[in-house]
Amino acid sequence: MLAIKELLGSKLKFGLIALAIGLVVSLTMITSAISEGLIRGMSGAKNEIAADAVAFQRDTFPILERSVVSADDIAALAEAPGVARAYGVGHSFATVGSADDAYDARVFGLGDRIDQLPIVEGTGEIGPGEAVADASAAWWGAEVGDTVTLTPTGIELAIVGFTEGRRYVMFPTLWVDLPTWEAIHVATILGRVDGGEDGAAAAERMAAQFAGGASVAALEFEPGVSLAEVQQALGDEFTLATTEDAALAGNGMPEMILAVGGIQVVSVVIGALLVGVFFYITTLHKTAQIAAIKAIGASNAHLYRTLIVQITVLVAVATVIGTALALAAGAGMPPLMAFDPDPARWATAIAAVFGTAYLGSLFSLKSILGIDPATALGRTST
Amino acid sequence: MLEVRDISKRYGSGHTQVVALDSVSFSLDTGRLLAVLGPSGSGKTTLLSLIAGLLTPSSGEIVIDGHAIHLRTAAEAARFRRTTVGIVFQEHHLVHYLTARENLLLVPHLSGRVTREDRTRADELLASFGLTERASHRPALLSGGERQRVAIARALMNAPQIMLVDEPTASLDTDRGLQVVELLKQQVHERKMTCVMVTHDPRMAEHADERLILVDGRVVEESAHAT
Repeated sequence: MLAIKELLGSKLKFGLIALAIGLVVSLTMITSAISEGLIRGMSGAKNEIAADAVAFQRDTFPILERSVVSADDIAALAEAPGVARAYGVGHSFATVGSADDAYDARVFGLGDRIDQLPIVEGTGEIGPGEAVADASAAWWGAEVGDTVTLTPTGIELAIVGFTEGRRYVMFPTLWVDLPTWEAIHVATILGRVDGGEDGAAAAERMAAQFAGGASVAALEFEPGVSLAEVQQALGDEFTLATTEDAALAGNGMPEMILAVGGIQVVSVVIGALLVGVFFYITTLHKTAQIAAIKAIGASNAHLYRTLIVQITVLVAVATVIGTALALAAGAGMPPLMAFDPDPARWATAIAAVFGTAYLGSLFSLKSILGIDPATALGRTST
Repeated sequence: MLEVRDISKRYGSGHTQVVALDSVSFSLDTGRLLAVLGPSGSGKTTLLSLIAGLLTPSSGEIVIDGHAIHLRTAAEAARFRRTTVGIVFQEHHLVHYLTARENLLLVPHLSGRVTREDRTRADELLASFGLTERASHRPALLSGGERQRVAIARALMNAPQIMLVDEPTASLDTDRGLQVVELLKQQVHERKMTCVMVTHDPRMAEHADERLILVDGRVVEESAHAT
């Protein structure tokens, strides 16, 4: 009764502090969504590969762009103890469109499990010269049924469908079969082959080297087999990593995650301090009243329960305000902005704000415990 | 019956020790109103705080109906105040965000649950104090006399055996102060309580059943029942 009555009796005061905490909650949620958006935008393509592990060429982990595995490597990996299946995954740079209206993209080739892409539009049946594009390509004007041209190689790809959550280094991705990827990759590396017969011969040799190869190999393990066991069996020829570890490594990901995480922690701490300091000051202002209530028989536990109820209500209201603000901010952001609200991460952020707010309430508890009910009857010591 | 036996209260130690009460003894029968008079610093408030269990005496005993109440833990003392004692403060200390009726219901709320009987009792008390029309008003909208009457009604909510009243008329003019004291006396007699009222005003003390005057922590004058 006391807790709610007091909140209702001072709507402006408690409303303002709820708004302030709400702003902190929204900041925490927005940074959380940006963090998630950055992670998915930077490495969604790697993270979502259907595999238990990814095998990198020796000494290239975690740089997907530097790794090369040959057809023989993939075959050897498929035969390794504990490995049920291995297939190549190729990565290549690409620029889509004309010089006036071009956008950068990444091309991924899949040697197997080509059905692993979740299709949000069109089809996932990819034939030679066809691609499924990440939905972010639509922001650049791509549509299902379009034929896009990769420059400067001039290779054309027909977009047969859109998938989602598979950007890489913030660029849209184009998913093709491995032979198509090989052609794109070799042409991309060579760029433009001039010089007559020598150039053509070089291109042929390179194409032969890449035949059946890829950038990395995706591995599926037999039941009960661990990554460490397979790594041990393979020796140091390859570096194995889970898709998640591979996704979170390289391209400045650890530093970026640390920076965004730091912002979130600071936001939560500010929220806790806001709650703690607000209720501490409120308790100090109510010293005489608390002393009187103690004098008529209130226990410290009762008064702390009242405080906890108030904090719970206040943070709950702040959560509603913060969520609304974060969603409004997300709705107002441009499509290319890395903003990907994840309910689980938001729930964690809210739980953190609640937890730290309760922690902040300990300041007030200390203050409540220190209030002498005898002071309600006036000064008794001289 | 309230019995205060050879109570002393000292603050500090050594050269800085202050004796707030020095061997104070008296007894008070049920249904009697005792006025405790004395100048500032005479120990009146300390005496009230000791009887309420808000302070622990340095020596001596406080006994209510044969039960010693001076050796309680803080939690026991709080329960004792919730169930046995009614306190009226000098500054009324009504909770500003609660209405007059809610201030009365605060007492059973502190005990854990507000029953229908509690609500009926609160309404009866407000009626007996002429406050029915003011029941839904917050303290800020009540006059000084009304606030003090609400404070007395709140002190009666738990049907206390002991009523402790601290300068109830300090913020009131003489007429309203006398009305409050008469009201208090009437309640003490009707409800068969034991009431100790601290006041610095001899005119108010004249309306009490018994008087006790403290100076420098000692009893210097007492009426019939003081020993």
